[in-house]
Amino acid sequence: ESCSSLAGIILLEVVLVLGTLLIYFLFSKKKEETLPFKNGWWGKGQKPVTQEDTSVRPFKVETTEEELSDLFRRLDQARFTEPLENSCFHYGTNSVHLRKVVSYWKNQFNWKKQVEVLNKYPQFKTKIQGIDIHFVHVKPPRLPEGQAAKPLLMVHGWPGSFYEFYKIIPLLTDPASHGLGDEHIFEVICPSIPGYGFSEAPHKKDFNSVSAASVFYELMLRLGFNEFYAQGGDWGWLICTNLAQIAPNHVKGLHLNMASVSKLGLTHLLSVLLGRYFPGLFGFQDEDVRRMFPFLKKGLYRILSESGYAHIQATKPDTVGCGLNDSPVGLAAYILEKFSSWTDMEFQNLEDGGLERKFSLDDLLTNVMIYWVSGCIVSSMRFYKENLQKGIGTQKHEKLTVQVPTGIASFPNEILHTPQAWAKKKYTNIVSFHFMPRGGHFAAFEEPELLAKDILQFVGKVEKEQLWKKK
Amino acid sequence: QTISCLPRSSEYSQKNAVLLPAAALGVGGVLLYWLRSGRKIKTIDMGDGWWGSGERPLKGKEDESIRPFKIETSDKEIEDLHRRLDHFRFTPHVEGAAFHYGFNSSYLRKVVAYWRNQFDWRKQVEVLNKYPHFHTTIEGIDIHFIHVKPSYVPHGRAVQPLLMVHGWPGSFYEFYKIIPLLTEPARHGLNEGDVVFEVICPSIPGYGFSEAPHQKGFDSIATARIFHKLMNRLGFKEYYLQGGDWGSRITTNMTQMLPQCVKGLHLNCVFIGKQGLGRLIAIMLGAYVPWLVGLSREDARRFYPFMQKNVYDVLRESGYLHIQGTKPDTAGCGLNDSPVGLAAYILEKFSTWTDKSFLHKDDGGLESKYSLDELLTNVMIYWVTSSIVSSMRYYKENFSKDPNLNAYSGIYVPTGIAAFPQEIIHTPQVWAKDVYKNIISYSYMPSGGHFAAFEEPKLLAQDIMHFVRKVEQL
Repeated sequence: ESCSSLAGIILLEVVLVLGTLLIYFLFSKKKEETLPFKNGWWGKGQKPVTQEDTSVRPFKVETTEEELSDLFRRLDQARFTEPLENSCFHYGTNSVHLRKVVSYWKNQFNWKKQVEVLNKYPQFKTKIQGIDIHFVHVKPPRLPEGQAAKPLLMVHGWPGSFYEFYKIIPLLTDPASHGLGDEHIFEVICPSIPGYGFSEAPHKKDFNSVSAASVFYELMLRLGFNEFYAQGGDWGWLICTNLAQIAPNHVKGLHLNMASVSKLGLTHLLSVLLGRYFPGLFGFQDEDVRRMFPFLKKGLYRILSESGYAHIQATKPDTVGCGLNDSPVGLAAYILEKFSSWTDMEFQNLEDGGLERKFSLDDLLTNVMIYWVSGCIVSSMRFYKENLQKGIGTQKHEKLTVQVPTGIASFPNEILHTPQAWAKKKYTNIVSFHFMPRGGHFAAFEEPELLAKDILQFVGKVEKEQLWKKK
Repeated sequence: QTISCLPRSSEYSQKNAVLLPAAALGVGGVLLYWLRSGRKIKTIDMGDGWWGSGERPLKGKEDESIRPFKIETSDKEIEDLHRRLDHFRFTPHVEGAAFHYGFNSSYLRKVVAYWRNQFDWRKQVEVLNKYPHFHTTIEGIDIHFIHVKPSYVPHGRAVQPLLMVHGWPGSFYEFYKIIPLLTEPARHGLNEGDVVFEVICPSIPGYGFSEAPHQKGFDSIATARIFHKLMNRLGFKEYYLQGGDWGSRITTNMTQMLPQCVKGLHLNCVFIGKQGLGRLIAIMLGAYVPWLVGLSREDARRFYPFMQKNVYDVLRESGYLHIQGTKPDTAGCGLNDSPVGLAAYILEKFSTWTDKSFLHKDDGGLESKYSLDELLTNVMIYWVTSSIVSSMRYYKENFSKDPNLNAYSGIYVPTGIAAFPQEIIHTPQVWAKDVYKNIISYSYMPSGGHFAAFEEPKLLAQDIMHFVRKVEQL
């Protein structure tokens, strides 16, 4: 009798445990929550009672003699500090090389000509949530019979700008002329993040990536797009991700050249410790291992040595940006340092920081000039504080997943490598994930053709699946 | 150099009868002590260095002359400054920012207006020159220092040499108010003149009027060695040390390097290295039962809540440290070209590190503890010497190495600690003992923050004297 009652008790316990586990699994499946649209008012003072002006006004970048002579005066009186012997770019931007850049800036760089280059694509401004949003809108020069242009929103990051997309735009609006086939043709919209370039800076606190995504969502709706693709890297990655979380029914596909994950758990820790030895166990491919390990060097130390700027910008943006808005040379040193190390970490060992290996000085300085003439460096830095001040992994959107079809182009010299095994926990519908053969953080700027090809094949896959679903 | 580790025991002064067993005991004790302490007996090797341009010259002795120096300015310098102030490009802050985003730009405009129209640099240069300045070349670079002797010494009293070392973003100028309290205490109502000092305040190489090192690797240990050489060159065999911020680390290294030269070490800021598991547990317990882990009530009041004061506050305030410790040449570039940018960067620290609550004020509470003249004089020292970049490199040079002071010997030299309430982090005495084994004075100061000598010269002077009095009476 005692035996059977004991067996009975054991059976009951087993059933209870199994039942609990079952219930746990059923209820712990992630709810497909959406991120709420964030409405806000970012203008000066109180929100007016009158209706907001929703007109879309054409815009052209302009310059004046006064602007140029002021710049030259500052370049002339720049005070440099001699670098330590044999320091290359290990202490930051090398001032001996910086002098050469400044000399080019003064004597050969032609800002008037670059302004014409900037104006070659149609630009506009429109007021959304109280601030003027600047954007480039390029339509395809020609469309084959019966084909519609697919709207594509491309969002830049820091210290970049809409200008980063100038070389990739023609590959997307007119792919046939560039040998890329004409199955998919895009009309491209590149806005400037509020606080960057020619977009007005928010006057209120708390303008974060979700705010930017909401503003850009309103922009796309105002331009008459009900469905569109979104592409981004750096802050653009986060803003487009948030956009896909806010309006999954409007974002047909999300393409990223950088995919970070901020929700790190025990599996991540284990995979960092053991992934080199048991890659298969953690879903790592050979290329993942090659890019991520040795982890101390490529992960931890790199984060520490390269994130000083993010730390100070996330805590004291008004302090660190102050001098940079007053010294163009200081601004250039600060921004160009990133175009060196984030393109290839090995460039730090070069006396010239490898700056002109992948970019022309004209392109680099045009980007710097956008920050200079718009006086936006401080507001661009505030975006770090608004997004990071509470710490990484603490915000609501960081805990939500993305269901929209996603394509990831993983560039080898990106600052940190995120393996697909980690990305797919957040991006639950990865349609394409490719290891790119070369290129770093500023993908569109540095390798426009590689990125364009990846976007095209991604869109191709999404469209095919949509057609199949419709049938 | 290694020091003799024989404890100052009185066994050796015993007379003949008990000499043999005493000697045996002594030797046995010494042996035991050696065995227990192991590598902790090691002091920092003095080593040597060369920081001048190019290769160190093989022949010839270094010029050891001490040359008087006067700070100068020119119309050109002042006009250039004014021009830059006039053309400053200002960015409006977000509504309600106060000092939470960094230096408030509306208040900065007021500071710039004062700087441009009322601040008199020529007059401030005269103020700076009121104490005697000198230059001397050590290890290939020119070291700047001021040397102030008491004008009157009561008959029979000894004058104590005191080396005071500044930090970042400070300078030798931080000591200008405290110097007369130390060289002429009686005149300032501090005591009957029983403790009188002659004060030497050098500029750390790369700061102010000290030449910046041209070679990589110039850290606090190199600084410590150079400052020992300086004191030696000035004819001092034994001296007191005082410091906060980098000065605290440098004077600590100096003590670890040549303890026999240091009569006493006084600090207003204490850094201790890596904490172990035991310390972490003590921290957690200390929140509930401070007395159990050796924390006083005041320690608990200043140290907790732990996460807020030691993690969040530190993360919020250490961005500068992170970027300067990794990319100093980038961080400093614009600041050497924009005086307003330089002022915002430096003065932000004089606000937040003086009182954390100043973050909530639109004017950062700056003028509640300092005058604009004083603050701007310090900024001008960085500006006219173009030393901001080299001052920042010091962070990278020091953090590239092991910051763990415990790797070297504990400090047995008498130590005095003045713990100011608004210091960035509070280090309780029980933990300071990790490194400082002979703390003879630990004071909870009633008010004041990080820039102790600048903000509360009288309080600091009193504590230094109280400490030195104790040492001299031992």
